[in-house]
Amino acid sequence: MTPAYATFGEVEAERRVASAPLSHVSIELGHLYMEDFQAGPERLREQFRHVAPWAETMRASWRARVPGGRARVSTCFLIDDYFSRFSTPSELVPMVLEAAAECDLTIDYLARESACAEADGVKLARLVEDRLVTDPPPGTDGSRPPVTETGWLCNGARSPYGGAVQVAMGSAQGWEPPAQNAKRRHSIFVDVELWDSDSRGRTWSCPFLAAVWQLLRLGMIRNDGELPVRPTPRGPSFPASWDELPAVVQLNPAAAPFSAYTTMSVLSPRFLPVELAVRTILSQVFVDAAVLRQVADRSGGEGIPLPDELVDRISYIFLGA
Amino acid sequence: MLVMGEVRTGLLQNSGEIPESLCQGVLGLLSGERVRISRRPIVYAVSPDQLTGVDCRLASAARARVRGVGTVLSRASVTGGRVLQGSSHIQVARAEADHRLSWSHYLARPGVVEVFGKMRVPDLADGFADSGAWNDCLDLGSVSERFMDAVQASPLLDRKAPFRSARTRLRWVAVAEEPGREGPGIRFTLGRDRVRTLRLVLPDGFTPDVVDFCEDLALHDWLLTTLLVIVERARVGTATRAEVTAKLAPAVDHLLHLWMPAARLDDGFAPLWEALERRPGFSRQWQSLVARVRDQIAINTLALLREAGGW
Amino acid sequence: MLVFAISDKGGTGRSVTSSNIVYRRALQGSDVCYLDFDFGSPTAGAIFSVSSAARGTIQGGMHGYFEGRIADPHRIDIWAETDREGLRAKPPGAGQMVLFPGDEGGGEFSTVSEEMLRRCVRLFTRLEEEFDLCLVDLSAGRSFAAQMALAATARLPGVPFRWLVFHRWTRQHIIAAHGLVRGRQGLLAAGVEHGHDEETLADHIRFVRTAVLEPDAAELEGLRETQKAWLNECDRELRELARRYGVGRTSMLGKIPLDPVLQWREQLISDEDVLSSQIANAETVAAFDDLAKKIVDDSAWEAL
Repeated sequence: MTPAYATFGEVEAERRVASAPLSHVSIELGHLYMEDFQAGPERLREQFRHVAPWAETMRASWRARVPGGRARVSTCFLIDDYFSRFSTPSELVPMVLEAAAECDLTIDYLARESACAEADGVKLARLVEDRLVTDPPPGTDGSRPPVTETGWLCNGARSPYGGAVQVAMGSAQGWEPPAQNAKRRHSIFVDVELWDSDSRGRTWSCPFLAAVWQLLRLGMIRNDGELPVRPTPRGPSFPASWDELPAVVQLNPAAAPFSAYTTMSVLSPRFLPVELAVRTILSQVFVDAAVLRQVADRSGGEGIPLPDELVDRISYIFLGA
Repeated sequence: MLVMGEVRTGLLQNSGEIPESLCQGVLGLLSGERVRISRRPIVYAVSPDQLTGVDCRLASAARARVRGVGTVLSRASVTGGRVLQGSSHIQVARAEADHRLSWSHYLARPGVVEVFGKMRVPDLADGFADSGAWNDCLDLGSVSERFMDAVQASPLLDRKAPFRSARTRLRWVAVAEEPGREGPGIRFTLGRDRVRTLRLVLPDGFTPDVVDFCEDLALHDWLLTTLLVIVERARVGTATRAEVTAKLAPAVDHLLHLWMPAARLDDGFAPLWEALERRPGFSRQWQSLVARVRDQIAINTLALLREAGGW
Repeated sequence: MLVFAISDKGGTGRSVTSSNIVYRRALQGSDVCYLDFDFGSPTAGAIFSVSSAARGTIQGGMHGYFEGRIADPHRIDIWAETDREGLRAKPPGAGQMVLFPGDEGGGEFSTVSEEMLRRCVRLFTRLEEEFDLCLVDLSAGRSFAAQMALAATARLPGVPFRWLVFHRWTRQHIIAAHGLVRGRQGLLAAGVEHGHDEETLADHIRFVRTAVLEPDAAELEGLRETQKAWLNECDRELRELARRYGVGRTSMLGKIPLDPVLQWREQLISDEDVLSSQIANAETVAAFDDLAKKIVDDSAWEAL
């Protein structure tokens, strides 16, 4: 008798990871805060006028890169409804769309900032926080838990502080500078506040939510292997309350997918420190290896190799007035 | 190729074995990630993979200063709802740069530690296998234990373990078979302080199954070690029969049914287990102990029956 | 189970009594360990006659662990490493007996940081997995170590713990022992601050009288009648005082008779010291044995 081989599989022993539809690039046309809104529609039109040629350049460069020129490019726009609430979707969204149209820009997707904290009952910010793997200072040998200050994340070793353990009659310590782990001779030490909390609970910081936003646009977040946010097609009108607006609304039915291999954001230089913080955070997020593999396989299949490191898939244009 | 890891094994701090339904809560160390469970031939639940960053010396047998930077890949698992393991490992690779890169570079290579300068595989393999008492060198065991601690601290566990037992440590190192060096094989050494070392020479290079194999071996070594202590403490022949039975009972309740060597392993590892069964003869020693435990309990039952006059 | 040994004043014989309890418990078949939390004076190694740790260890002990310099504190298997010939072989059926010494040259800590507290919680949790009894020897008086013990146990609701307060049978010691438990910033007040329930915590505290000279002891045979009468009167007064201060019989777990061996050489008393060389009294060993049993006997710890 020949030997018989049995194969045996168990559903719950295997991991399944949903894959996201992906564009080549996701272009963020703007990010609207209360102060921009208060400055009136002219400010918005001015911003779109500045952005339009850069968006077109990006589009053209991808068309040149993709065989057959069939570049999948989607655009998005983020409105802050997390740190301050102003106006209503029914009043604000048409104004934004109108201003964009005047500059020949199409906004494919509209997102709410609070969706980066929690969307459809999934606490996205928590998911990402759990996936932080802190950048270890030299001498980190695994024997002790990673040094963390609750609610903060840095790119090196902080200065020793007065509260460190001291033994009676032991020798005292003087001041020492902080140090960047990946420094080249000199340090650029960055320490980012991820959240703070008060009696009402935890408030995520702007850079942390912006990091979640980047990960969403890169299609890198999963909850139980599922995509936590799927764009919802727009209805005939926009609701009167932000809470009723879906996390991500698809405004253009013909749009390329929301998530993309790469992202590009056109921003005012006042966001430079925020984006430095975002990169500090993103370079310490451990993305699900299965998701990374999916994306790499897909892009490889299209003949578009992607950089291994997530932060290298993100680009910016900082535009002064 | 050079892969090294450390598995720590201990008793889950709960009065009874935990049901499958509790495994998600106990091992769900990462939100948004499911605990994987397999049920045949024994319930085995494993946490999502976790990463820990390191930048430190790697132990070198020649006491050279070797610096490595990268991430350790870890997971925690519960077998039979009863035995907890923390397991960590790294693949050692040579760094292309001569300085430390941005952290995102290392995070893109989970479970890889890059060493600067020339990489001498035998030197690092020997160094790691012996590095128990070395300070300031990569300590995979502590990483594994922290994930065990996180599981043991779960509010879902009642912390009323049926007996006390020490965690065991299995440090393993795997290298590829190379012409002119030793052929494929396995060397298992029992050390002091519940430290065991395992050295593997693999013909086909590294696969995740190697980690499964090391965890499986660590599990069975722990079972054997723990049962030996229970039998020794029972003072068979010296203490009264009732005392002996009372001391042996937890073994019957909680350990004896867990022995299933190579249950979940890829067939490719069967020869390695078979080699260990020949020497030191794991299953032989286990079966002899189990027989002893059962005989003692049977004798005591007979004595009780006789006392009760039922015989 | 975690057992904390504390005294208000020095010289109560807290460490030597605790060590002997641990030793007796090991002989009774339990796995035990002894943690030297007397950070200002880490000398527990001397009592167990482990000369390499007589003044603390140089291999990274309690101090190094709490300062975060090492991952695991150094552990000493007393059966294997003690210098006393008579203790070196673990009797069949006896449990593990492990000493966690402080660091040589280590000092009292200046604060309890959150980091230290987390390390303490981790240490207690791990030892609880491995040992039936973990005896934590705190220093005399209010200390950061005691504060840390209270804070850590408040975070470990599933881990049973008990406190032993050692005091000598004198006026001053009785008042001091009462103060340490119920006084300002005493164990109860500090415990409540860290999240313990006062009544429950109080139920987990018992007193141990040390160096007790009973008025009817054999040593007092040669005394004059007037001296005996005076001693009896003193003892009665002390009992009355102890009762008033809540340090009386009901809250007492045991008493250790005055024994020259304990006074002059703080050491483990083996059965051999009683039977062969006869340097120690049988009553002393009986008292240790009794304490070692009562410490884990729930009926001795029923609510008062």
